Amino acid sequence: MRLLLAILCAAAALPAQTLQQAESLWKQHRYEESKAAFEALVAAHPRNAEYRVRFGQLFLERFNAPEAAKLFNEALEIQPKQADALLGLALVAADGFEAQATHLAQRALEADPHLVAAQELLARLALEDNDPSRAAAEAHKALDMSANATQAKAILATIDWLNDRTATPWDPHNGPAYETAARIFVLNRRYEEGIQLFRKAIAAQPDLWSAHSQLGINLMRLGHEQEARAELELCYANEYRDAATVNTLRLMDSYKNFVTYKTDRTILRLHKKEAELLHPYFEAEMLRALSTYDKKYGYHLDRPVQVEVYPDHEDFAVRTMGMPGLGALGVTFGYVVAMDSPSGRPPGTFHWASTMWHELSHVYVLNMTNFRVPRWFTEGLAVHEETAVSPEWGDRLDPHVIMAIKDKKLLPVADLDRGFVRPEYPTQVVVSYFEAGRMCDYINREWGWPKLLAMIHDFAGGASTPAVIEKELGVKPEEFDKRFLAALDAETKKTVDGFDDWRTGLKKVAAEAKAHSYEDMIRDASAIRDIYPDYVEAGNVYQFLADAYLAQGDKKAASAELERYAKVGGRSPDTLKQLATLQEEAGNRKEAAEVLDRLNYINPVDEDLHRRLGDLWLSLGNTAGAIREYQAVLAKSPTDPAASHFNLAKAYRTANRPDAAKDELLLSLEAAPGFRPAQKMLLELSK
Amino acid sequence: MKTLLTLLLTAASLPAATYYLTVTGLGGEPDYEQHFAMWAKDIDKALKPAPDSKVETLINATRDQVRAALDRIARQAQPQDAFVLMLIGHGSFDGYEYKINLPGPDLTASELATLLDRIPATRQLVVDMTSSSGGAIEFLRKPNRVVIAATKNGTEKNATVFARYWVEALSDPAADSDKNDVVSALEAFRFADKKTIAFYESQNRLATEHAVLEDTGKGDGVRAPSPENGEGMLAAQFPLLRIGAVAAAAKDPAKLQLLARKEQLEQQIDKLKYDKAAIPPAEYKKQLGALLLDLARTQEALDK
Repeated sequence: MRLLLAILCAAAALPAQTLQQAESLWKQHRYEESKAAFEALVAAHPRNAEYRVRFGQLFLERFNAPEAAKLFNEALEIQPKQADALLGLALVAADGFEAQATHLAQRALEADPHLVAAQELLARLALEDNDPSRAAAEAHKALDMSANATQAKAILATIDWLNDRTATPWDPHNGPAYETAARIFVLNRRYEEGIQLFRKAIAAQPDLWSAHSQLGINLMRLGHEQEARAELELCYANEYRDAATVNTLRLMDSYKNFVTYKTDRTILRLHKKEAELLHPYFEAEMLRALSTYDKKYGYHLDRPVQVEVYPDHEDFAVRTMGMPGLGALGVTFGYVVAMDSPSGRPPGTFHWASTMWHELSHVYVLNMTNFRVPRWFTEGLAVHEETAVSPEWGDRLDPHVIMAIKDKKLLPVADLDRGFVRPEYPTQVVVSYFEAGRMCDYINREWGWPKLLAMIHDFAGGASTPAVIEKELGVKPEEFDKRFLAALDAETKKTVDGFDDWRTGLKKVAAEAKAHSYEDMIRDASAIRDIYPDYVEAGNVYQFLADAYLAQGDKKAASAELERYAKVGGRSPDTLKQLATLQEEAGNRKEAAEVLDRLNYINPVDEDLHRRLGDLWLSLGNTAGAIREYQAVLAKSPTDPAASHFNLAKAYRTANRPDAAKDELLLSLEAAPGFRPAQKMLLELSK
Repeated sequence: MKTLLTLLLTAASLPAATYYLTVTGLGGEPDYEQHFAMWAKDIDKALKPAPDSKVETLINATRDQVRAALDRIARQAQPQDAFVLMLIGHGSFDGYEYKINLPGPDLTASELATLLDRIPATRQLVVDMTSSSGGAIEFLRKPNRVVIAATKNGTEKNATVFARYWVEALSDPAADSDKNDVVSALEAFRFADKKTIAFYESQNRLATEHAVLEDTGKGDGVRAPSPENGEGMLAAQFPLLRIGAVAAAAKDPAKLQLLARKEQLEQQIDKLKYDKAAIPPAEYKKQLGALLLDLARTQEALDK
C-alpha cells in the first residue's frame, strides 16, 4: 500500500517536473532537448491540451509552423475552446498572410476575453490590412485589458510613425514591439525606416535574433550586402536558422556566379551562364524604360537602379520570402528590382520586359511617394504601364478574373489593398492585380494622366485612398466604384456572359481537331473566337483555326488567324515562329522580323530565334539588329559555331567593319577550317 | 576534319556503299506511334538522296521483319561497306537484358548483337534511341562498331526525345560542324545531344535521358567523347551522311597534290590550335590567319 502511494505520488509529480524541465530547457535555448521533453510529456498525457499548446508554441518559435499548427489543432480536439491554441493558429495564419487569421484571433478572444495577445494580434492584423482606425481601436482595447500591452503600444506608435508623427506617446520602448513596427514598415515597402526600427529593436534587446535576421534580409534587399551578411551570420552562429536566414545566406553565397554590368543609370546583375546573352536586351530595355518614365512621371531617380535576374526561381523566391501577395515574377525594394530570368520559366509563360517595366514603375512611384502609397495604386499603375508600352504586353483577361467579375467579387477601391495582402480566396491576388490595373486604365482614360500623377503626389503627402479619389476625381469612392464597374462591365460583358458557351464551344472544337474535321473546326471556332478574344493560352481558338486552315492549304487565312493571336498578346514561341514562317513564305519579311523580335521579350534563350531574326534583319538592311542577333547566337554557345561566326562576319562586313568581319571569319574557320563560304569571304577581304 | 583525305581516298578507291536500316517499335499511344513513324520517315527522306546509300525503313516492325531485313543486309553487304542501324521506340531493361518493344515478341540486345555480327560490313554504327537503351551497350559494343544510346544506362526508362534531334542532325547543315560536307556519327551525336539538353532546359524539366557514345568496343559509353577518354575517334571517322560531292576531287589525279597540301595545312592548323594556350594571342591570330588564308587559296584551286 505504501509502495502504491509512492508510485501515485511520483506519477503526480512527474508532469510538473517534466513541464518545468521542458520549459527550462527552452529558456536555456536547448531546443532539441526541450522538444524531446515536450514529446515525452505529450505522450504521457494524451488528454492534456495545455502541454500540446506549449509544445506548439515552441515549434512556432523555432520556425516550424506546420508542426505548431498540428499541435494546436490537436489541443483544440481535446479542448475546443482552448484560447492559446486558437491564438497559436491565428499567429500561424497571420505569418502566412491568410485571411482566417482575424477570425481565429477573434475566436481566441471569445474563448478568453482576457487574452491580451489575441487582442494585440487583431490590432496588428488591422494595420497590416491598411486600416489604421480599426487597428487603433483594437489596440486601445488591448491597452484597456492591460496597460502594459507593448504590442498594442507598438501598433499605435506605428500608426503615428507611418504618418510621420515622430513624437508619439505610444513609444513601446521594447525590442519585440519595435520589431513589430519594423515589419509593418517593411510591409508598406518603407524599407529604410523599417531598417531603423529593426536597429532600435536590437538596441533594446541585443539577443533578439528575429530582428537581426530581418535587419539582414532588408539590408540585403536594399543592396547593403556586407552588413546584411554580418547580421545573418550572427543569427546563424546563434542558432537562429529559419528558412529566410539560411536561404538568404545561401543566395548571397551564390552571387559569385553573377556578373554585374553598370552604366550611369543602371546596375544589372545576371547569372554567368546567360549574362552575355541577356545583357544587351536587358540593359537596353532598362534604359528605354527609365528614359520613358523620367518624362512620364516628371521625376529623375537620384541613383542607378539595380536589376537582379535569377535563372533559378528558388533564388528569386528567397528575395520575396515573408512578403505578402504573389511576388511571382518580380519584386521591387526601393532602387533594387529582383526578377525571374526568362530561362527560369517555360518558354512563352513569362514576358520579362513587361515584368521589368512593371517593376521599374514601382521604383518611380515608391520613390516619388517616399514609399507612402497604397498597394492597389502602385500595383495598378505598374499593371497599367505594361500595356501602355505596347498593347500586346501585360496579362490578359484570364478565367479567374472572369469568374470574379461574374460572381461580383471585385473589391471596392477603398478596400482593394486587402485583396493583395490577405486574400480571401486563392486567386484573389491575381484578380486584385487585374482590378487595380483596370482602375488605373480607367482613371487615365476618363480623367487623364495628369490626374494619376496628382494622385501620386497626394499619396506622397500621406492622404488616404478615399481622400485622394475624392480630391482628384471629384467623386466619392463609392461613386467611383459604381462608374468603374459599369465601364468594366461594358468592356467585359460579352466575355463574361458568353464564357460558358465559349467553354462548351472550345471543347467541341478540340474534339473536331482530334477528328481532323477541318470544316467543322473552322465553322465552330470562328463562331466562338470573338466571345473571349483574350484567351491565348494552350488550346486557343486562333491556333485551332490556323491548324485547320493549314490542313486545307490556306496559308493566308492561317496567317491572318495567327496575326490576330499575336495582336491580342499571344506569347507561345512556337506559334509566333509559325506565324513568322508563314509571313516569310508570303514575302512579308518585315512583318516576320517584327514578330520574331517580339519573342526577344518573351524567350530570348533560343538560338534558332536569333539566327532567323539575324538573317531577316540582315536581308532588310538592319545591320545593327543583325549584329545583335548574331552576337546572341554566339552567346548561347551555338550548335554550329562556324556558321554563327560567319553570319556575324557577314553583318560586320555589311556594316563596313572589315576588321571585325575578319576577326569573326578567323573564328569561323578556326572551328571549321574547310568552311567554303567563310574561306571565300576571307579571300575577298584579303585582296 | 584531318581524316577527310583518307576518307576521300577510301571513297574514291573502293566502291563502298552504306546500308541504312531504321526501325520503329511499338508506340503504345497514338502520339508516340505518330512521332516514331514521322521521325523514321524523315530519316528515310534525308538518307535516300545520298550517293551509294541503300536505305530501308521499317515502321512498327515485328521481330521477324527486323531479322529478315538484317539477314538481307548480311547477304548483300561487303566488308568495305558501312552499316547503320537506327532504332526508335520504347525499350526496357530488367537489370540483365535490354529489349526493344516491338509488336509481338520483343527483340533483345543479345539477339540483335548476333544478327549484327553476321553483317560483313566492317564499319558499323548502331544508334539506339529508345528508352533504357544504355542497357544495350554492353551487348552491342564491338571493335569497329560505334554504339550510340539515348540513355546512359538501362534505368533511364522515360520516353526519349533524342531521336527527334538525331533526325534534325540529318537535315540541318549546322550538324556538319567542321563544314567538310560530311556529317560524321560524332557530329550527329553531339548535335542531337546538345539539342536534347537544350530541350529539357527550355522546359525547366529534369533531364530523364543522357545520351552516350561507345566506339572502342570495350567501354560503357561516355557523355562527352574526347581524346582524353579515348572515345569518339571511330565515330569521328564514320561518315553518316555526305552532303556535297566531296568525293569528286579525289577522283582527279591532277588534284591529288593540292589535296595533299590541303591536308598538310589542316594538320598545321590542328597543331596550332592544340598549342594555342602556349602562344601569345596576337601571334596565334597571325599564324592562324596565314594558314587559313593559305588553306582557302588551296581550296579555291581545288574547286576550279
